Amino acid sequence: MSPKLLLFRFLRRWHARIGFAAVVFFLFLAATGFVLNHSADFDLNTRYVHAAWLLRWYGLAPESPRLAFRSGRHDLVAANGRWLLDGRLSGEKFPQPLGLVELPDMVVVASSTSLYVYNKDGTLIDRLDRNALPAVPVQAIGSGAQQLVLRTDLGTFESSDALSWGPAPRDAVAWSAPAELSAAERERYAELLEPGISVQQLLLDLHSGRLAGRYGPLAVDLLAVFLAVLSLSGAWLFLKPRHRRERH
Amino acid sequence: MDSRARRSLALLTLVLGAASGYARGEVYQEPAAFVAEVFGSTPAPKVLWLTREIQAQAAAILGHAPAQLRQRYWSETRKSVWILEETGKEELITAGFVVVEGRIDHVRVLVYRESRGQEVRQGVFLKQFNDAKLAQGNRLDRDIDGIVGATLSVGAVERMARLALYFDRMSHG
Repeated sequence: MSPKLLLFRFLRRWHARIGFAAVVFFLFLAATGFVLNHSADFDLNTRYVHAAWLLRWYGLAPESPRLAFRSGRHDLVAANGRWLLDGRLSGEKFPQPLGLVELPDMVVVASSTSLYVYNKDGTLIDRLDRNALPAVPVQAIGSGAQQLVLRTDLGTFESSDALSWGPAPRDAVAWSAPAELSAAERERYAELLEPGISVQQLLLDLHSGRLAGRYGPLAVDLLAVFLAVLSLSGAWLFLKPRHRRERH
Repeated sequence: MDSRARRSLALLTLVLGAASGYARGEVYQEPAAFVAEVFGSTPAPKVLWLTREIQAQAAAILGHAPAQLRQRYWSETRKSVWILEETGKEELITAGFVVVEGRIDHVRVLVYRESRGQEVRQGVFLKQFNDAKLAQGNRLDRDIDGIVGATLSVGAVERMARLALYFDRMSHG
């Protein structure tokens, strides 16, 4: 048997073996790559996976909620960038709240650089950032005479609608202060406020192999080498018999 | 997964998370400064409450429900200014729209938080919106040429332009 024929058979055999062995991985990479390429269409960045085992796998330690803000019939507990306002979960990446105030027709939560204005039913009316506030950072939020009051470095300001602000007297303000949670409440809220991993992040880590740790990317690199070998051997197997036929 | 690899992955995740969640982004102009530039001083803000009908139309324009129930704006005589935010690929883009008698006078990208696609802030792109008005179906009366590599940001600015014109129309009752 000629060396060329031997090489041809060797390549054909290994082309089939490598292709068969890697088919599941190639399909997986193709599928994750396809989904990642359309991440905006699928809103992958706004979808989160909340699972204790996944956090352990990532080595992330969840922050345990310790404090609650209460005002009238409303309460707010926050941890891990998530808020639980009147038992209703916010989205992700929310700032650390400074306080909660209930006014006649709205509930307002303050962070150091923003205000979140809610309806009594918990629907977000408006989010005011530093540009819409009289001064930042906000140090405390309170209420007095049915006015919303903010304490900042530049003074104390009040508003009835969280739109127009004016100087406020410092006295007669009930400032929002956190209350310590009981151990049972902490445990219950910790479960509800568990941090999440975005689906996009998870898919990126799966696609790149990083989810498998230090050697994951190397395994994906190896698959890339396999794919290159398959492409080259496939091209050779496709072209070689044709050359032979053309010579005849 | 060993602890070192796990720590690396956690660090990577936190870094990526922090990068994607970086709220300030690239600030080209503070929104308050934009409003002050348009009017010469900063008038008191007004509010457009998003009724069910307005919410439905805004959702049709944006492709998703509006994030909040009231929209602040500034207006004097024939001119109104709308500071809007919309997600490009992953992060919010903040843009200011000046509307005069139902037509866009000019647009400026004020804050850009995405890692790619900053080209939408360039005047050559934004000039396409000048004098645009709403056509049937709350669409712009013209086609906006896209930018290769910034397709999603271009789409976001276009949606905001349509929303600004629609809000302006609604603010006049």
